[in-house]
Amino acid sequence: MGKVVEISPTTRHEGRSKLVLQVDDEGIITVGNWISVTPVRGLEKAVLGKPMEQVPKLLSRVCGICPVAHALAAVEAIETSIGVEIPADAHTLRVILHCANRLNNHALSNIFTLPDLYIPGTDRKINLFSPEEPMRSIARRIQRIREIAQGITEIAGGEAIHPTNTRIGGMYYNITSRAKQKLTDLAKEAVDIVKTQMDFMIAVLRNFQRRDWTEIGGRQIPIPRNLGYHSEGYLATDSLYGTSSRTSVQSWDPDHLREIRPWNFYMGEVTIDLEDSTYPIGGTTAAGTVVHPKREATNAIPLYNGRPVEVGPRARMALYQGFNEKGTIGQQVARQMEYMTDVHEILNRLDTLNTSGKVLTDPIPPGDGKTLAWATTEPARGTNVHFVRVREGKVADYSMIVPTTWNFPVCSKALSGAPWQLAEVIIRGYDPCVSCATHMIVLDPDKNVVAQNLIR
Amino acid sequence: MAAPLGQYKMVLFARTTDKEILRGAQNGGIVTALLSYALDTGIIDGAVVAAPSRSKPWRGKFDPWRSEPIVAMTRDQLLSARKTGYNISPNVMMIKEATRSYGLDRVGIVGVPCQIQGVRKAQLYPIGMRGVPDKIALVIGIYCMEVFPYQSIVQIVEDHGGVKMESVEKIEIGKGNFTVVTERGRTIQIPLNETRDLEQPGCHVCLDYAATLADISTGSAGSPAGWSTVFIRTKIGDEVWKRAMQAGLFETKPIGQVEPGLGAVEKLAVEKITRNKKTLEDRDFIGTKGLRNPYITT
Amino acid sequence: MEIFTEHVNGIMIHKITIGHIHESGCTGCLAALMDNYQGIFTILDKYADLVYGLTLVDVRKIPKMDVALIEGSVCIQDKLATDEVREVRDKSSVVIAIGGCACSGNITRFDRGGQQNQPQHESFVPVSDLIDVDIFVPACAPTPEALRNVCVMTYLLLRGNDEQKALAGMYLKPLMDLARSPYGSKASFNTLMQEVINLGLCMGCGSCAAACPVRAITMEYGKPQGLRDLCVNCGACFSQCPRSFFDHELMEHHEQIMGMLKAVMQ
Repeated sequence: MGKVVEISPTTRHEGRSKLVLQVDDEGIITVGNWISVTPVRGLEKAVLGKPMEQVPKLLSRVCGICPVAHALAAVEAIETSIGVEIPADAHTLRVILHCANRLNNHALSNIFTLPDLYIPGTDRKINLFSPEEPMRSIARRIQRIREIAQGITEIAGGEAIHPTNTRIGGMYYNITSRAKQKLTDLAKEAVDIVKTQMDFMIAVLRNFQRRDWTEIGGRQIPIPRNLGYHSEGYLATDSLYGTSSRTSVQSWDPDHLREIRPWNFYMGEVTIDLEDSTYPIGGTTAAGTVVHPKREATNAIPLYNGRPVEVGPRARMALYQGFNEKGTIGQQVARQMEYMTDVHEILNRLDTLNTSGKVLTDPIPPGDGKTLAWATTEPARGTNVHFVRVREGKVADYSMIVPTTWNFPVCSKALSGAPWQLAEVIIRGYDPCVSCATHMIVLDPDKNVVAQNLIR
Repeated sequence: MAAPLGQYKMVLFARTTDKEILRGAQNGGIVTALLSYALDTGIIDGAVVAAPSRSKPWRGKFDPWRSEPIVAMTRDQLLSARKTGYNISPNVMMIKEATRSYGLDRVGIVGVPCQIQGVRKAQLYPIGMRGVPDKIALVIGIYCMEVFPYQSIVQIVEDHGGVKMESVEKIEIGKGNFTVVTERGRTIQIPLNETRDLEQPGCHVCLDYAATLADISTGSAGSPAGWSTVFIRTKIGDEVWKRAMQAGLFETKPIGQVEPGLGAVEKLAVEKITRNKKTLEDRDFIGTKGLRNPYITT
Repeated sequence: MEIFTEHVNGIMIHKITIGHIHESGCTGCLAALMDNYQGIFTILDKYADLVYGLTLVDVRKIPKMDVALIEGSVCIQDKLATDEVREVRDKSSVVIAIGGCACSGNITRFDRGGQQNQPQHESFVPVSDLIDVDIFVPACAPTPEALRNVCVMTYLLLRGNDEQKALAGMYLKPLMDLARSPYGSKASFNTLMQEVINLGLCMGCGSCAAACPVRAITMEYGKPQGLRDLCVNCGACFSQCPRSFFDHELMEHHEQIMGMLKAVMQ
């Protein structure tokens, strides 16, 4: 008979979540439950009845580290619903924003995961806040990448956190040729820096992969070869930016989407009976504590073709570029490889940007309420889907499935087989953004569309 | 409250040696010449200035009596923005956008004292001004007693002055009068105490006349005709002024030699501050509760 | 001024302890703090030890600390959250609400529940509605520079000499007053309207329009027009307005203070 251990709260990722883990006598996870306990702000409900212009501004605020992902998915979905095409230069600016935000997020993810990893050839973990070398140089490099990425977002998007330049029908402003030149210089500077960072990260990850153990709470915990492996599928809707329901050839089929409630996925009431006060820092939850994951969870469980799917850099690379490495390390390696894609794409798009081009469509129709539209973006953490119906300029229905929502169930499965002390290392591989993930849609299984009556 | 004229390193009379600028200038052409020089030499890479409104064409041109802020990135744009309009141009509105879609790293800005207060507050308390504080490269202030809403200018010109707005060639406020010069050369003077009620109410609680928070502030008060009085206030102001002088951009006169001089500027500053302090005090006695004083937080 | 030079010469050596607490926010405020880029290392090397902050460090229980930065509003149907803010107040000398949600509710003012898996999560209030908050740093997102300035000034307030304390006290006073004012936690464009425009204080400088993070404010004939259907209740316009608060005596030293802030971040 196994025991139950709880790590709460989990650290070094966005938002608040916890892990409830059933483990066997060797401490190996048999059932992993990773759940969000971030309060549900209910933004999909809050936007109902609001003017469509306001909604992307509100939904940007779903997340302050991937605001661009939500601002863009929201405007694209609303534009699809009301049937407007945006000018080419507006689209170019959006792709630049998208890539710059991905760059920032991959760098942030490095900050979150590096403390789990070792300087190759040593038994020293990487504390980025230490003033010692080589830590300080690594930390400075990551911050410089972020500075460049945020700088590009600020100019093309108006603000680095919660872009102000996006609007229904395009953008508020095109940028001047001077601004374009500045962005080009920034992106060119980034090329070498992100190459160095990518190579460094991959070296550190490969080093971790070769290690037999990692130190946690003063003990050597064996690292399984199959750390974070799962047998579920992948989902990605585009190799770079995203798509929408107006596209004729679709890369995914929302009809295959089902969502179940946490009630049907997570454990019921359990009593914690394994406690480890050495787990850093502050120990695990006290033995005797009663927890109730299926009731406490604030995240949803989306299924695609009846199974959980992984989204994110690895999913994109697996589906579009034949990348086939499994597990936490493979996932992390894929993320580093996107660094280069993002920088080069920014440079390519800047090349095509006409700074005197129009960036706003006119007129902007108010929407007839007939079309439930969707749009996806492919930000740092994976497929982000927004569904919307707009009637007379107001939002009538809204729902979204954000990257980390997809990843909660698949990651929970990927925990099995690992020592419980490595559970957080596995979840950090998904670069979770938990505040985003407290969103819920419900599907009508009898219809081939997302059921309108159940969205409300 | 500190000295009415604020802190300064130097004060003098000056006018620009740039004939093109001087020809169209209200006084000594100080603002345009400084900004143009700063633009040429890379001290700034653009400036927020008030320009004639583009939203409503007037007499076949842009409306000079309704101003709105633009981000000027060339000398031509600066030249199109000359002369003060005495109405409200919300210049601070553009300081953030200048660093965004315009891509500026060193922003110059011109403004009346309250706007300079906005700029300095943006630097010290950048609540909603990300990326702005360190990109403000040159702040030029213009003395100001008060401004008029556009509609007040229309009323003064058309009702008090009895002239159609379209006939106005020049408006000047000073020496106790609101002066309108028509395109046919007629001059109409309306005493300022007659137009007091039509001033922007927000001006009546303003405690700065000489743009004391600017790097360099300037205006016609105290100076001989065709010249301007110039205060060099900060380290940045001092450096820019010295470089401009070395480049031969201005001719100057020491302030002691010529009447009316510094005393006249001080007189106006004291007059404004005293009157507006009184307004602030009076506001305490409106109703039984009084009105909020923005300078005293509780 | 003495104040400025003395500090630069590194007289101060005792670091303060600082923590980041995440309630119902979006982590944008923390991202803004991190957007001080290399400055973060200066702050952590010289002035503050980060003792709590789930997003960045592994500490799982809230320790005692000098300064708590709280981000996000509080869901009153979530006991975890309401207990946590009380615990933060008990364990911190200075509580600073950072960002629109913590100060004035921001977008969470629009929340009204009804969403699974916790449809009862419908009421979100600014932190100062539940506990005493010492300092507000409004706006969505707050700026890296504002967060930096407030951190440095709070450090001086706690560890500086008498003169430095006086300067920091002057600088922070309006932000402290805002935390206690009747309108601080209710801020939105309406506050600018009611406390500035309606009181005859607006002079049309345009600071509010520049500060607005959702482009809700335009200037019409020189005066702010707020599209209230766009306003997210972040309070940036009001706090940025030179007529919300403005201490002439402090602002006169703008050059020295800017210089000091630059020097301490070297």
